Amino acid sequence: MNRGNERVVTSWYERLHSTSVQALYLHVPFCARKCSYCDFTSWATRRDDAVLGRYVDTLCVQLDEARELGLLTDCRTAYVGGGTPTLLGPQLLGTLINKVRAVTTSLAELTVEANPDSLSDEVIAALVHAGTTRLSIGVQSLNDEELKALGRLHDARTACERVRAAVASGLDVSLDLMCATPAQTAISWKTTLEKALDLGVGHVSVYPLQIEEGTPLEQALDDDEPAWNDPSVQAERMEQAEEALCRAGMERYEVASYARSGKSCLHNQAYWTGRPYLGLGTGASSLLTREAYEALRSSWTALPAPENDTTRLRLTVTSGPNEMAADVRLSALHAEVEFLNESQATAEDLMLGMRLSRGIGSGLLERAYRSIGTTRVNEALATCEKRGLIARQDDRFVPTHDGWLLGNELYGLLWGLAEESVHAIQV
Amino acid sequence: MDTTKTSHIRNFSIVAHIDHGKSTISDRILELTHTVEERDMESQLLDTMDIERERGITIKSNAVRVTYDADDGETYQFNLIDTPGHVDFTYEVSRSLAACEGAVLVVDATQGVEAQTVSNALLAMNANLDIVPAINKIDLPSAEPERVREEIEETLAIPAEDAVCVSGKTGEGIHELLESIVFLVSPPSGDAGAPLKALILDSYFDAYRGVVATVRVFDGHIRAGDMLYMMQADSSFLVDDVGVKRPLETSLPELGVGEVGYVVTGLKDPAAVHVGDTLTYDANRTAEPLPGYREAKPMVFTGLFPIDNKEYENLRDALEKLRVNDPSLTWQPETSVALGFGFRVGFLGLLHMEVVKERLEREFDLDLIGTSPSVDYHVYTTSGEMLDVKSPQDLPRPEKIDRIEEPYLKASVIVPPEYMGAVIQLVIEHRGIQDNIVYLSENSVEITFYVPLAELILDFFDQLKSRTKGYASLDYEFADYRPSDLVKLDILLAGEEVDALSFIVHKDKAYTLARGLCDKLKEIIPRQQFEVPIQGAIGNKIISRSTVKAVRKDVLAKCYGGDITRKRKLLEKQKEGKKRMKSIGTVDVPQEAFLAVLKVGDE
Repeated sequence: MNRGNERVVTSWYERLHSTSVQALYLHVPFCARKCSYCDFTSWATRRDDAVLGRYVDTLCVQLDEARELGLLTDCRTAYVGGGTPTLLGPQLLGTLINKVRAVTTSLAELTVEANPDSLSDEVIAALVHAGTTRLSIGVQSLNDEELKALGRLHDARTACERVRAAVASGLDVSLDLMCATPAQTAISWKTTLEKALDLGVGHVSVYPLQIEEGTPLEQALDDDEPAWNDPSVQAERMEQAEEALCRAGMERYEVASYARSGKSCLHNQAYWTGRPYLGLGTGASSLLTREAYEALRSSWTALPAPENDTTRLRLTVTSGPNEMAADVRLSALHAEVEFLNESQATAEDLMLGMRLSRGIGSGLLERAYRSIGTTRVNEALATCEKRGLIARQDDRFVPTHDGWLLGNELYGLLWGLAEESVHAIQV
Repeated sequence: MDTTKTSHIRNFSIVAHIDHGKSTISDRILELTHTVEERDMESQLLDTMDIERERGITIKSNAVRVTYDADDGETYQFNLIDTPGHVDFTYEVSRSLAACEGAVLVVDATQGVEAQTVSNALLAMNANLDIVPAINKIDLPSAEPERVREEIEETLAIPAEDAVCVSGKTGEGIHELLESIVFLVSPPSGDAGAPLKALILDSYFDAYRGVVATVRVFDGHIRAGDMLYMMQADSSFLVDDVGVKRPLETSLPELGVGEVGYVVTGLKDPAAVHVGDTLTYDANRTAEPLPGYREAKPMVFTGLFPIDNKEYENLRDALEKLRVNDPSLTWQPETSVALGFGFRVGFLGLLHMEVVKERLEREFDLDLIGTSPSVDYHVYTTSGEMLDVKSPQDLPRPEKIDRIEEPYLKASVIVPPEYMGAVIQLVIEHRGIQDNIVYLSENSVEITFYVPLAELILDFFDQLKSRTKGYASLDYEFADYRPSDLVKLDILLAGEEVDALSFIVHKDKAYTLARGLCDKLKEIIPRQQFEVPIQGAIGNKIISRSTVKAVRKDVLAKCYGGDITRKRKLLEKQKEGKKRMKSIGTVDVPQEAFLAVLKVGDE
């Protein structure tokens, strides 16, 4: 299998004009239970609900269509996310992964998201068998009190046990951890980090809990800025994580992602480096070159024509699972389409690039000079630098510690280089 | 058409305390007389501005003619003159009333007599009007028409046994009200053969026809082609057209004795026509102008600055456009170190200020910073000069000041007796001097007092409402200038004095206010990347301090494929928010910081 330390290198020209995407995302919008803090696209669904099978069938049909349109020729990574993909069980998951393998030829990475409570030995075996290379497990915490407060279905012991089983199967394993949560203390967080490192995983993602509007968590809070989620607590916990994980030999390659050498997530990096991707399933987003979009539009005729200056399109599926089962074809989907011109596309890439520790390099900078203007770009970078948000490193600009903590300042300044807000159409 | 005999004309206003339902009753009258068909009815038709409708208040006067077929078989011409419903516009109200023979006094059946009921009734009685009391909102379960009837008789000494009970909402009693108007309101009288004598009760501007005046004819008549003379303005114009509103403008051959209508002046300068002025023939002038004329005088001043300095010219254009229909608006350029170029704008009162600012932002799409309102201080210098100081920045250095005088109001509050103590306490806190206390009835007492206008425009009204659970009502008029011990309070952000945050305050209150202001600003100014000290100072002496802590971290959200759009939208919202902030030195200051002084003491 083609996997390892290899880095997917593509020129900006390829990223900007290829008909084929480089990454494929499949969304499985089902969970055994909805967590109190979650506002992602997902519904609490029983494992035996017939909708799961119909949904997988639909995705398989649409994957065939995408291949026929030439959208998947150069696809290098795939990611099955959710929701909880492992809720599908070994058979449906096997079917889906087999299909992903069948429509692509040279995947360097195939990740499936999992929850400890549905990651049975059978599921692991089915995933390995079908050609999965990586598991991203939503552990969130290895402290029972914290897990209970978050409304998670698993306890710490199950989580550890399942993670060990996954590691033992030979898959690359990543853990998602959450800080600044209701029952967390600096000490319990330290313990979670240590335990996570003990499990022998190659990758860890760390996010502070976000209190999203309309979630049960938000509604249950008396105070919309509780002390446990205070920005300074978030900062301390993020610093604690960096300290513990880096000391153990991991590298912080993105603001929230840590990996041992060669274990960084290629698929997620596609999002942050402007590589085109195709997203299928309810709520999934695609980033398409104009060429890829036109290829898709040749079959999905309801899609609006791009505008004259459009160089990039983002397309988000808005159809629900039942709607998708009723007519399985791509052309029957509803979606929101955003048209980005070159300055918007570049501003987006600048903003996303600053999530990465290697920041932005000369290729992207040159593109920015061309599409936005040298003076404006240099002025924005100078402002960021003056405020201590970025630093120069050879011919690159990289985010500083403060730049990562004050991401919205930094990203806001860079996104501000786009002249107008992005125009969207519903189809 | 429309050569109604004066015996069949009724000119009346509807007056009421705010929210007692004046506009709804007007609407029902228009409906019942088929002036406006129900299907075309836009609620509160007489209030033509969006802001008037939204806030449920009337800012401009308006006169509509309706035809009423009465129960006696005769057809009457009603001229319904809508008046502004706020104390800021008392003079405009008095001019509208001077055009009437009668007034419908609307009292809310659930609220009873309130301060502006009293002041409006007094204005109507002083204008010698026949008063038709109407008790409104009788459809509400909490209506107490009998109690209110007694209150009207007791407190206003207006016979109310025949008061009509109406519901503007359901239309109940409106027919009876119209009949009462026929019988209780006197017809106008005048001399058709005498030289013209007509009152200008309002004016508005029309891009094509110039200034259009709303007038009431007392003697003589007005026809298109007449050369008319405005006695106070001392200028003349040729009448282009005359007519009435029904409610759309309808041209007529003439406006005769007792009639109310519009006159197209063709004048291009809105300020050339003054509310309250007397119109007569240019060649054959009447001997005496009508009494009661006064020049509209601004009482409250504030600095208005565009957040983006490039909008300065647009702000000036917008002010000029607004002045076209609001000649009372005055301004002069003002420069602030912190805010750049703007204007010091004068208003009739606080509501007027709010309305104008809102119109500038909404109708002209300007992002503005308004500074704390100020009054017109009379500053006597040691060299014996008297300066009009309308902005804290213009206050001379302390050693050059002999004394400062500030405008006082005579104000009255009507309130249930159990809140009397709270009101008196509030008056004292606001440097007020009690004048008189009169029991109007068992349930209401009127407290009159003198109070500096500067205190009233701060938070007096909000405080009054909250301390009396909303029962108190307030009315006021200008009294006189009195000497006061006043100082200038300066605010420093990150060590820099911000002129736009300076404030003139009584010496005894300076410390409390400085402390309150520093705390309030700490709440309003968002955390920045660095610590921002906020200091209050009189001269070189720091008297209060607070600190906005530095922000350590902002939100870190997941940002995978599907999250990017959301992230971008969030950043755009953040940018929108920043646009409404002003960078002063290195500190981003939100608009509302400049009005923080109005919020000191709020939770």
